[in-house]
Amino acid sequence: MQSARRLLCLWCMLGFLAPTTVMAADDDEFDAVHHTADGYYLDFSPIGKIELPRIFIIRSEVTGYSLRTYWTTRSALRSGEMHASLHSEEVEEDTHVEAEQDTEALIASGDHLGATLVPNDGEVVLDLSMTRHLMFALLASGILLTIFLQLAEKYKRGIGRTSAPQGLFQNLFETLVIFVRDDIAIPNLGRDKYQRYLPYLLTAFFFILTCNLLGLVPYGATATSNLNITAVLAAFTFVLTQVNGSRDHWRHVFWPPGMPVLVKFLLIPTEIMGLFIKPIALAIRLFANLTAGHLVILSLIGMIFTFTQLFGEAVGYGVVPISLGFTLFVMCLEILIAFIQAYIFTILSALFIGMAIADHSHSEAH
Amino acid sequence: MDPQALAYLGAGLGTGLVAIGTGLGIGRLAGPAMEGTARQPEATNDIRTSMIIAAALIEGVALFGLVISFILAFK
Amino acid sequence: MLLAADLLSANVGLIVWWGLVFLALLLLLRRYAWGPITSALTEREETIASSLNRAEAALEESKRLQGSNAQARRENELQAQRLLREAREEAQQLREREVLRTREEISALRNQAQEDIARDKEKALQALRSEVADLAILAAEKVLQENLDGSRQRVLVDRFIDDLSAQKHNQFPYQA
Repeated sequence: MQSARRLLCLWCMLGFLAPTTVMAADDDEFDAVHHTADGYYLDFSPIGKIELPRIFIIRSEVTGYSLRTYWTTRSALRSGEMHASLHSEEVEEDTHVEAEQDTEALIASGDHLGATLVPNDGEVVLDLSMTRHLMFALLASGILLTIFLQLAEKYKRGIGRTSAPQGLFQNLFETLVIFVRDDIAIPNLGRDKYQRYLPYLLTAFFFILTCNLLGLVPYGATATSNLNITAVLAAFTFVLTQVNGSRDHWRHVFWPPGMPVLVKFLLIPTEIMGLFIKPIALAIRLFANLTAGHLVILSLIGMIFTFTQLFGEAVGYGVVPISLGFTLFVMCLEILIAFIQAYIFTILSALFIGMAIADHSHSEAH
Repeated sequence: MDPQALAYLGAGLGTGLVAIGTGLGIGRLAGPAMEGTARQPEATNDIRTSMIIAAALIEGVALFGLVISFILAFK
Repeated sequence: MLLAADLLSANVGLIVWWGLVFLALLLLLRRYAWGPITSALTEREETIASSLNRAEAALEESKRLQGSNAQARRENELQAQRLLREAREEAQQLREREVLRTREEISALRNQAQEDIARDKEKALQALRSEVADLAILAAEKVLQENLDGSRQRVLVDRFIDDLSAQKHNQFPYQA
């Protein structure tokens, strides 16, 4: 068991190393941000990259609104309907790559994946392209559906309904479900109201947890280290909070009781800001935690390449054990963070919803 | 001075300051929590839960700072 | 410089996709997974709680029954002891009465026997006396046939015998 765990750890680390090593070998420089950021491809280097479908809604003066789909970025460029635009700070204007051979050269260099695609006619209204983080979010959703639909089927058959739960999966996930219900939902929402919000809390908890852990798997990407995805999650919390807000909740926002009138006018903007800041903080916290964790891991590995460049190959090899030791430590920390952040997001969501739906008396101190 | 260098400098300094603040904050939080746990071992679970929540809130503020540093560094 | 944009930039398409997917995921899981799972868990907990309550009640009941059983047994024991004691006392009394009666009977028998003996002795004495008298008379007759007539001699002998019996009644050997 112990050795199996060790092997798993080693495998995870090698999985992380493989893409980064190749990356460093390719470009002779290492960019941690690039690995953490989203992209229009799945990175399986050194085996290769899988480009994801590009979907655009385009408005042009000639044809009006139209939907364009391409299987890959490559095919979008080769179709001749789109061209790549590489933003650059130094050069003010967009560097248009329009000529046929330039397009092929761009594809060959691999930089087309980082380029912005611009239609030759009209403009992009909405870029619905598949991205890596979306794919991993979908993968996490698929995992959740597979696990929990099967589990629900088991409960419907009566296992766990009248008898004790059976098997590793049922015991494990039942413990987590009961944890979310008894330690997150009930204390914050109250025993009589929690049932309405429990499905959302459970979904958010397990989705975030799955995404976080998927990020630690070799070739995996962390969907929760994407601000857009965490923003959507936080938006759900925001909507649930505001839609279900009690009269007291709104009174506290727009006419805080127990205050002098002048203070009330000062408080109202603060309260309104607070309404939005809570979910924004929720989104940024999750995003930044996961991003920072991965950046730290990648930077620690990047130390090897930095030292090699600065002091030569011998020093580079010398740094390897230190770097890997720290990486292993941070990886373990990341597993902890994966659980803690899922817990924090869920418990804060429950707390915000619970605060909004509570019918508390006005004598209560604030 | 090169504005980009200044941005990098700002980002680095900002991250360091954020680390100081967060360290102080979480330290001030964790110390009494430990004391409380030692004094009342039966309340360990409650204390740990509220400690984690408070730590996450402090960390959240720190991460805002970190995001600003990101923006500065990669501008 | 392209990359920083990737980390922090908003991607409306991704937000749209993910909003839809997450909503679908939420609804699917709520309908087909969380509903059955949480209801099953609640049901199981209620079953466990109610069976615990029932077990508690049954335990209480059995304890109560056991208590009343013990009480009944104690009462029975007391009663049995009382009965035993009563029986013993009765037996004692009965025996004492029996002993008393037997003693009385024995003494009565003894008295009767003594009376019988006395009577027989009297009778025997009477018989002896007449026999002795007869013998004496016969003897005397034999004597007197020589020198006296019978009637005067007889009176003399009777008187003699009466004196004799009055004097020596107690030392008479025919007493046992």
